[in-house]
Amino acid sequence: MYALEVKNLSHWYGENRILNNINLQIDYGQVVALVGPSGCGKSTLLRAILGTDPPSEGEVIADGKLVTEPSRDVGIVYQHYSLYDFLSAEENVAFGLKLDKTSLISRFVALPTYLRKRREHLQMARDFLARVGLAAASGQYPKELSGGMRQRVAIAQAFILKPKIVLLDEPFGALDEATREDLQMMLLRFYQENLRAKQRGEQPQYTIIIVTHELNEALYVADRVIGLSRFHTEGSQGAMVVYDRPCPILKPDASKDLSRLVEQREELRSAVFDPSNIKHHSKYVSFWDELAQDAQAAEAKQNSIRLAGDKSV
Amino acid sequence: MIRRPIPRWLVVLLGILGVCTLLAVYGGLSYRQSAINPKQKVIPGLQAFRDGVSRMTEPQGTDESPKPSMLVTDLRATYWRLFLGMGLGVLLSVVVGIAMGSYRWIAAPLAPTISFLAKIPPTAMLPIYFVLVGSDQTMFTTMVALGIFFTMAQSVYQSITNDVRDEAIDKAYTLGASDPEIIYEVIWKQILPPILDNIRLQIGPAMIFLLAAEMLVGGEGIGYRIRMESRVLNMSIVYIYLGILGFTGLLGDWSLLWLRKKLCPWYDR
Repeated sequence: MYALEVKNLSHWYGENRILNNINLQIDYGQVVALVGPSGCGKSTLLRAILGTDPPSEGEVIADGKLVTEPSRDVGIVYQHYSLYDFLSAEENVAFGLKLDKTSLISRFVALPTYLRKRREHLQMARDFLARVGLAAASGQYPKELSGGMRQRVAIAQAFILKPKIVLLDEPFGALDEATREDLQMMLLRFYQENLRAKQRGEQPQYTIIIVTHELNEALYVADRVIGLSRFHTEGSQGAMVVYDRPCPILKPDASKDLSRLVEQREELRSAVFDPSNIKHHSKYVSFWDELAQDAQAAEAKQNSIRLAGDKSV
Repeated sequence: MIRRPIPRWLVVLLGILGVCTLLAVYGGLSYRQSAINPKQKVIPGLQAFRDGVSRMTEPQGTDESPKPSMLVTDLRATYWRLFLGMGLGVLLSVVVGIAMGSYRWIAAPLAPTISFLAKIPPTAMLPIYFVLVGSDQTMFTTMVALGIFFTMAQSVYQSITNDVRDEAIDKAYTLGASDPEIIYEVIWKQILPPILDNIRLQIGPAMIFLLAAEMLVGGEGIGYRIRMESRVLNMSIVYIYLGILGFTGLLGDWSLLWLRKKLCPWYDR
C-alpha cells in the first residue's frame, strides 16, 4: 500500500482540461517536490489530493482510503493564512489535538477531563514548538510573529497530528533567503527522522509533497521531483507528469556534489519549463525504474561481496 | 504634520477643555437669554435644572401605594425595551448570519431578501408594527429587534465571507474538525470582535427606533417624556434626559470595548 495513489486523474474547468490522466504512487516517507510552470495545475492537483476540489475523473487514495473530502489523513500548510489569528502559537499547534482528541460536547460537559487533556495538548505543542526552534514564542499571537516564525508554527500545527501525508503549498514563497534556508533545514531534519525510522524497520512518519517554484529548493529538500507540464506531445489535452526522477540524495551511488544538482536542475528546467522541448510525456518519468535498478545493483554488489568473501574463505 | 502623535497628558487636557467649552458656551447663552427674559425656559439655568431634577426624582403615587419616580419609571421602561429588543435582535442576526456564512444553500435564498429589507428604515415601518403587533411591550421589542436584525445579519454574513477564508475552514477539516466544531471553534471565534463592534454600532440606531416609537405611542419611557416635557417647554428635564442618553450610550460603548478586549485579546495586537 502506498501513502498516496493518484489514479487516472483528469480535471476540467468548463471546457478547459487542466490535468490529463495523472498517475502517481508515493511511498511512505518520501519527500516529493512538485514543480511546474504557472497555471499548469499544481494547485488543482493539490486540492484534489487534499479533497477540497475532487477531480472530474479518476481518484485519489490516501493510506488506502478514497479521498472525497478533507480529512486528518492529509495535512496542509499554505503559503499564507496558515494560522488562526485568535489562537496563540501554542494554541494553534494544539488546535488539531483539541479537535482530534476531544469532542465539542465533551469540552463543555466533561470539563475537568477536557482541561486535563488540554494541559497535556498544550505541553505537547510547546515541545513541538521547541523542536522547530520557537520555544520562546509559544504565547504569542500570529500577528506578533514574523513570516518565518508563522510558517514554523504552521508546519508544527500540521505535523503534530502525524497525518499520513503533509502538503506544503509554496510554504516558503514569501520568505527572505535566510529564513527560507532555515526552514529547508527543518524539513531536512524531518527527512533524517524518516531515515532513522527506516533503519529501525519502522514506517517513516513524514510523507511530504512540497509545491515550489524554486528548482534549487526542489532538488535540495526532496528525494524525488515530479514535474507537471503541458510541454509534451499531448499538451493540448492538459498537463501531465513529464518528469519524475529521484534527487541525488536518494541515489546511493550518485555524486552529492553541486555539479550533479546543477545537471539535474538543467534537465528539470528543460523537461518541465521549456516550451520548445516537446517530447513524449514519459521520457523523463523513470523514478520507479531507477529505484528498481538501484535495488538490483545493490543486491548484485552484495552478492559479489559475499562471493568474494566465500572464495577467500 | 498629519497624524503626528501627541502626549497623553495633552489628549486628556484637550478633552477636558472641550467639555468645559461646551459648558461655558451653554452657560453664556443661558445667562444672555435670562437677561433678556428672566422667565425663559428654552436655555434653563442652574436653578431650573435643580427644580427639574427634584421633580423627576420625586416619588409618585400615594402613601398607601407608592410608585417609583418619573425618572426611574422612564429609564426602566426604555432600557428594558432596549435590552429585550437588542438581545433578541443580536441573537437572531448572529444565528442567521452564521448560518448564511456557513452554508451557501441558506445564504442563497436569504441574502437578497435581507439586503432588500435592510434598506428600509425601521422608523418608516412603524405603522406596520402598530398594525401587526399592536402598541404594547411586544411592539417595542419587535421593532428594535427587527430594526437591527436585517442590518446586523447582513454584517455578520459579510464578516464571515471576508474574514474567514476558505483555507482556514479546509485546514480545520484536515485537523479533524466536524461542521459544528468549525462553526464554533473557527467561524464564531474569528468573527466575535466584528460582532461586538456591530452591537456597539447598533445601539445608536436601536435607540433612535425606540425613542421614535415611544414618542408616538408610549405611555412611559424616555421618548415619551421628552415629547411631553418639550410640549410645555420644560427644557431642563429634556436636557437632563438627553444627558442621560449620552452617558448611557458611552457606558454601553465602553462596556463592549472592554468585553472585546477581555474576550478577544488577539484583536488589538
